[in-house]
Amino acid sequence: MPEIDLSLQVNGRKVTRRADPGQRLLDFLRDELNLTGTKEGCGAGECGTCSVFVDGKLVKSCLMPAAKADGAVIETVEGLAKPGTLEVIQRAFHKTGASQCGYCIPGMVMAATSVLREAPEASLDEIKERMGGNICRCTGYSKIIEAVELARDVVSGKATPAALEEDGPGESYIGTNVRRLDAPSKVTGRLKYAGDMVMPDMLHMAVLRSPHAHAEILSIDTSEAEAMEGVACVITSEDVPGTDGFGVFVHDQPIMARGKVRHVGEAVAAVAAETETLARLAARKIKVEYRELPGLFSPEDALKDGAPVIHDYAPDNLVKHIPIRKGDVDKGFAEADLIIEDEFSTQQVEHAYLEPEAGLAYVDADDVVTVISPSQNITHHRHMLSEIIAKPINKVRFIMSPVGGGFGGKEDMIYQGMLALAAMKTFRPVRLVFTREESIIASAKRHPSKVRYRMGLKSDGRITAIKFEMLSDGGAYGMSSEGVMRKAAILSCGPYEVDNIQVDTRAVYTNNTPSGAFRTFGGMQAQFATESMVDIAAERLGLDPFEIRRRNMMRAGSLTHTQQRLDSASIDRVLEAAERASNWEAGAVGMRGPERGDLNGPGTRAPCTLGARFERPAGGKEKVA
Amino acid sequence: MMQRKMRGRGVAASWYGIARTATVDRAGAWAELDDGGTAKVVTGVTEIGEGILTVLAQIAAEETGVRPEDVTIGDNDTARSPEAAHAGATRQTYMIGNSVALACREAREKLFTEIAAHWDVEAATLVAFDGVLRAEGTNLAMSMAEAVDICKKRGVVPVGSGHFTSHGTGLDPVDGSGRPWQAYVFGTQVAEVEVDTVTGEVQVLGIWAAHDIGRVINPRGVEGQIEGGVVQGLGQALMEDYQTVNGHTTTHGFAKYILPTSLDVPEITSVLVEDPDPLSPLGAKGIGEPALVPTAPAIMNAIHDAIGVRIKSLPASPEKVLAALAEEEARQDGAVAAE
Ligand code: FES
Ligand code: FES
Repeated sequence: MPEIDLSLQVNGRKVTRRADPGQRLLDFLRDELNLTGTKEGCGAGECGTCSVFVDGKLVKSCLMPAAKADGAVIETVEGLAKPGTLEVIQRAFHKTGASQCGYCIPGMVMAATSVLREAPEASLDEIKERMGGNICRCTGYSKIIEAVELARDVVSGKATPAALEEDGPGESYIGTNVRRLDAPSKVTGRLKYAGDMVMPDMLHMAVLRSPHAHAEILSIDTSEAEAMEGVACVITSEDVPGTDGFGVFVHDQPIMARGKVRHVGEAVAAVAAETETLARLAARKIKVEYRELPGLFSPEDALKDGAPVIHDYAPDNLVKHIPIRKGDVDKGFAEADLIIEDEFSTQQVEHAYLEPEAGLAYVDADDVVTVISPSQNITHHRHMLSEIIAKPINKVRFIMSPVGGGFGGKEDMIYQGMLALAAMKTFRPVRLVFTREESIIASAKRHPSKVRYRMGLKSDGRITAIKFEMLSDGGAYGMSSEGVMRKAAILSCGPYEVDNIQVDTRAVYTNNTPSGAFRTFGGMQAQFATESMVDIAAERLGLDPFEIRRRNMMRAGSLTHTQQRLDSASIDRVLEAAERASNWEAGAVGMRGPERGDLNGPGTRAPCTLGARFERPAGGKEKVA
Repeated sequence: MMQRKMRGRGVAASWYGIARTATVDRAGAWAELDDGGTAKVVTGVTEIGEGILTVLAQIAAEETGVRPEDVTIGDNDTARSPEAAHAGATRQTYMIGNSVALACREAREKLFTEIAAHWDVEAATLVAFDGVLRAEGTNLAMSMAEAVDICKKRGVVPVGSGHFTSHGTGLDPVDGSGRPWQAYVFGTQVAEVEVDTVTGEVQVLGIWAAHDIGRVINPRGVEGQIEGGVVQGLGQALMEDYQTVNGHTTTHGFAKYILPTSLDVPEITSVLVEDPDPLSPLGAKGIGEPALVPTAPAIMNAIHDAIGVRIKSLPASPEKVLAALAEEEARQDGAVAAE
């Protein structure tokens, strides 16, 4: 490929390099200059993690060809403050606790810097709008916005620099707002996530993924890919030396498809090569012959007689059924003055952590197969990998790199096995970094669930019986489905003491993207249904929603749905705290909004109309990227 | 007749269990009071963003008497540190935090024994905080750096180890009975929304989130978890929707898979309720997951309060809200016609 000469200024230093004309500014900064504070969250201009200043203008470097930056003055997060020091905005992020996983943070700091430079007196609303092009999955933005306001005030002199100092410990370090110890490395972009790490002699991996939802693999021909110059190895399930299979509860997933593929995006083969581009090119040269099989795309279909079977071990396509029985539901419903029935459904949800999956594996001098990755469970991954590669536990080592957001989505060992195999085959370090698209199609989601609900109540609001049935789409592999169904069942009927309960939760296999662990592990789907039902019941009975909850809530000594005796239950205290904090106006559930006196009070923001927030549009040229 | 912009409020309560479910959960940690009055804590965890390293440093500081910034922490390596297991299940503060507290106590006890002998006082009179060790009821005081130095000169390296267990039991396969967790938390959230009845768009303007987290270690950290959880709950309530057609996703990037941005965020008022856990040395419980549970139902209940329709299928997208409004209107017209 003909290369071009680039000469630019980066963080105050002159840089001259030969570059591939197709290279993005983002790759140039990261790969050529090792400025890995600039992150790739999406590669499509949609998240802002790659924000840099080009000639003073905030730019998404994933959208800009490096060639276009020729002659430009570039500022990255690494250039904001002198090494070892922090700028006001960085100190403000540190003070308010604005960084969590930190992956969005360099981009946020850049966007905030742009706010302070371009609109040093920006109002809260303008700050929000100017930061609107940067996604954060962890913080809920509140403390980030607070940091920008704090920095604005310090810069303008409205607040003193002392406002950036840490609060003292008082008499104890427990209960104190100690500033996050990891914040300085995050606000400066210094922290290395797995995808930022390099090792000498490192290879790059690319993965060939299934284009089919359900298909038999007739053959895989890797010869052409293997013959390419710069390709170090190609791996398939044939290369697995031990017992293939991983999963949080059942080990039903091979590290690469074995005999058949069960969902679109499933790994089929992988290439390790000298460069990432080469690895991707070679992966496309692998020829796979498939015979398509009928697919299952809804959990109801999966349970039908004669439905296609996705896993031989589960001819009924059932991953797990969890039953809970307490008391006598028939008796409970017979005693009820009111019986209500309804159905609820929740969608499939993507974790959308800003850091796509990435890992680096090598075999060390003691023959220990080592995998560095943002794994949420290195203890379990080590066990599974030791079986898969047939090595004793002490020859398998997992190092957890800083996780750029997990939320349960990084509990599944969906790529570490491939990295380990390639490292074992080549005795060279191998790195894999998912693209956003790969991350979305290959990683687990929140279980989409349907709940059929039946609730019986006395006219005073006491619940006499609940029948709760949940059906969840587990997708192609078991992953955390069993545990999610268990937690959904245990928590199903909410923080209420109900004497008569019949709960069934089921997850089934389909050929959809697998579902797995996701913050609340089924608890959210189940309690969404319960909390909606309780509100419907309050409406029917003319009760205040706090009141109906109080009449049913668990107390010290209550028996939970799984018949566990509780020594304490703080539900009374949190109900009261929320009621008081929100200045709740009591009244029966109904369409009360138009008459309420408690609306629009402290603790609410003004509604927004997009674009209407700029108080001082500078010559009509203000534009939010 | 409905106005274009309608407001309403809703509430939802919730509960959650701390640490791994229906099993014996366990974790371990090592500690050493180190030269210069610092502390070394070895655990198998690192950040997933929740702030665990800062929480552990606060715990180590509290238990040993050094300052949080003097704690070295975070090893996250199966070959170099004791089992910590899973960074999830709202278990980090509870499982690893208590392990670290116990390991630090053991290391501190070794140090205190030596210093008590050195000063010829009862070990029980010693108190260490913020880098200084004192004997209560006396004028005796020294820095933690000196204390470690003296301890080592007496031939003792002050090290400790600790492990913590959460005693859950499996569920009965027939009736599901069992003790899945030893610690529970509860939460309640109130949502205030505005619904645009012409576009169907819902804006969440305020969330009041009251959560029991046991003893609070870092209030700002807890708020950060609540704010993050609420906004993820809001995303699921109103906009996020992973879609597939015959197994092929149609939402393969953030242009199609819509996430909340700073413009969608309500004002969030967190109320931290402390009901300390009696079964653990720290009394802390957790907040990571529970913060998200009540958000979506509180928002759906608020939408009902505003416009009288119930969205039972998430997300409450503008299209669904409009369809529900149209259906409700047809129902009411039908009812009027029937009269
Ligand atoms: S906007 Fe450039 S990586 Fe997301
Ligand atoms: S801190 Fe923003 S994405 Fe994690």
